[in-house]
Amino acid sequence: MRRNPPHRSVPRRLRGQLSEAVASLRRVMERRSREPLSADAPDSMTSAGGGAHAAARRTHAEQRERRVAAGLSELERWLADQVGQGIAQARQTGPADWDDLARRLVDAQAPGVAGTVTRLSRVLTAEEWPGLLLGEYALLHLLAVAHRRAAALPEPLRRTVRARVGFPVTRESVLATPAVRDHWDVVGRRDEEQDRLVARRAWLAGRTTGRLAMVLSFSPAGQPIEPFPPPGTTIDADLAFYPGASPLRALVAERRGLVDAGPPPGTKVSQVPALIAEVLAADPWTDSWPLVLDGAVPCPDCIADDEGNALPLHPSAGVPWRLLAVSGGRPVTVAAEWTPRGLRPLATWDEEGRVAPL
Amino acid sequence: MTASWEELVSTALVGADRRAVPPESLLEQAAEQVVRMRAGRRPGRSRPPAPAAAETLPPVPGAAADRLARMLAGEQSRLLTEWLETAAARRVRVPAGMLPGLLDLGARDRSIRACLGTVTGTRGRWLAGLNPAWSYLLDEPAHLPPDEVWELGTSGDRRAWLAATRARDPAAARELLEGGWSAETPEDRAAFVALLADRLSMDDEPFLEAALDDRRREVRQAAADLLTRLPGSRLALRMTGRAARLVRRDGRGLRAEPPKACDSTMERDGVRARPPAGTAQRGWWLQQVVAHTPLSFWAAHLGSPAGDVVRLPLGDWAREVRMGWIRAAILQRDPAWARALFAVEPLTDLLAVLPPEEQSNRAADLVRRQPVDGQMIMMLGGVARPWGPRLTDAVLKKIAETVEAQPWNAGELIRLAGERLDPSAYARAEGVPELTATLRFRFEMIKELS
Repeated sequence: MRRNPPHRSVPRRLRGQLSEAVASLRRVMERRSREPLSADAPDSMTSAGGGAHAAARRTHAEQRERRVAAGLSELERWLADQVGQGIAQARQTGPADWDDLARRLVDAQAPGVAGTVTRLSRVLTAEEWPGLLLGEYALLHLLAVAHRRAAALPEPLRRTVRARVGFPVTRESVLATPAVRDHWDVVGRRDEEQDRLVARRAWLAGRTTGRLAMVLSFSPAGQPIEPFPPPGTTIDADLAFYPGASPLRALVAERRGLVDAGPPPGTKVSQVPALIAEVLAADPWTDSWPLVLDGAVPCPDCIADDEGNALPLHPSAGVPWRLLAVSGGRPVTVAAEWTPRGLRPLATWDEEGRVAPL
Repeated sequence: MTASWEELVSTALVGADRRAVPPESLLEQAAEQVVRMRAGRRPGRSRPPAPAAAETLPPVPGAAADRLARMLAGEQSRLLTEWLETAAARRVRVPAGMLPGLLDLGARDRSIRACLGTVTGTRGRWLAGLNPAWSYLLDEPAHLPPDEVWELGTSGDRRAWLAATRARDPAAARELLEGGWSAETPEDRAAFVALLADRLSMDDEPFLEAALDDRRREVRQAAADLLTRLPGSRLALRMTGRAARLVRRDGRGLRAEPPKACDSTMERDGVRARPPAGTAQRGWWLQQVVAHTPLSFWAAHLGSPAGDVVRLPLGDWAREVRMGWIRAAILQRDPAWARALFAVEPLTDLLAVLPPEEQSNRAADLVRRQPVDGQMIMMLGGVARPWGPRLTDAVLKKIAETVEAQPWNAGELIRLAGERLDPSAYARAEGVPELTATLRFRFEMIKELS
């Protein structure tokens, strides 16, 4: 009996997206078979070419598949142990355990999952950490199961799972897919340093296609970062998307020049839940998605619209003083990164259409 | 089996094994629910802050705003005060996006708050209402309509209004104060009394004499400081009576005898009984009596003009009497005494009493005569911007000499000169790249703001 169904208040128009999200989960989990993995599990990386070189590559790939499968089944067991014994001590023992687990997952050539495990300690600062941690454990479990059941998944979701696990996708293979040409508004940019590398994310929104994209580049810390047009600019470009069920990461295949286009068009605050439900229906592990909001009124702890609908800000984002200053309590265009815990503002455009990066 | 999210979390905390729930089943249910919650999260309700009022000042030109952004990011940040002063004088406002950075600076640095009151516009005040760390801005003038200022304005507004009224009609300003005096806050009372310095006359004497009985020390002090500038005031007469007993002519020199006690009438007249740490009590009282005695009294009492008096030998207590005169010259803004005292002790506060051109010229004489040292830098630090032609010449020459002979000693002077010289002198500072760069920066900065 559900005492407090969390989706109780979901409006009718959202139910469609929600059931899709849940259905996609069911696809991952149904026929919860625990059959052991055969060593010669079919490899997805079929190689058309013959010859010794191709054979060597195939052996290499098969080896990786086996390692990843072993690593993820260990992860499944570990997660079951944790919730079996109880997570009450996670605040004390978690960080050391997670470091250890992440190292083993790196050895198992599953760097994507290893990264997720490394980031687990972020939830511990929150008051509601038990719920957040259970959510993260549950999604890790879902990913491990999905990988085990990969053969039964539709192709785009299977690609999403492999990307999240950490199988590499080469630049060439991405650039070989058909590119999407559009006038892309740069709506946000953020640099983060990790392991002596600076990761630069730039979020883009397409004017005609309405598509969203994230271009990621790395450079060694302390060295000049590969330049990318700042928020507020619009580029005419062809983007090639990494494969997946809810593609976001992209490469700039060809940059044709800058366009003078003014502030980007946006969606209404009230439309965001439906939009996010759609994204999660395709890829339930999504934890970051760019949004461009139109007619948005920034508040100290949320972004509202003139009807009083409000999307909370991420608790660690602090009061967005710059955003408040630019808005002066009036509706503006705001670009923000959606995360499960709330929005992180990226940029805003004032009444005169001038951009202010945040 | 389906459970609520709270049940799932509680089971996970104590352990699924203890509740006889298969761990995989718990994780699967949790996965389903967490995606449901993330996807089904409905917007909350919120009441945004009331919108800010429309701006009344024009925005700064784009190039000036760009330069301000660079300065806030660290480029030539020592010149920020001059940027703000210039922008405030031109009555323009900064772009809204830069307000948080500027308001944070103002929270740490009081000296820029008055300028911020102008250049942050109505948006700045709106933000200050949302963030307690910036609420100081609400004490700065906000430019309300004239008929509402005195009743409804911020402290800053009302001070500005009183100052303007005082300049126009001194008696009207005093009557404005007398009207609601007891209802004002102690901080406002002290600030208002100090504003009566402008166009001070014996008409203000009864009001100020009454203020000597105020509950707040700052108010009493401000009133006493003003009364010493009125040689005919009751306080001045009481003080001269004391001074006449304490400091006398003695042959070719002077003799001082500090008071034996600090009685309640002395305290009422602004003499503080408790000395600062490390100062002898009686000497402290002597110094304060001298500091609060009208300077015009001394020439007749000692039989010499100021220029001679400050050079007369004084036995014990020489230091206290000299410090008293210096304080008096500053408090009473007496140029003759300030000039005389500066000749024996070149203090920057004395220089500030002199007219700007004379400040510049006296400073120039000193710069020409002396090597660069800490005292010179301190003295020059008090000479207001922009420095006059003679001081400019003297400083440029001194910099050139010092860079040649003692380059390690030139840094502070170069930095100060960069901030204070008339920026159009940049072409004359060719040999000193750092100075040229700073002056050029200021030259362009001022041009952009005009």
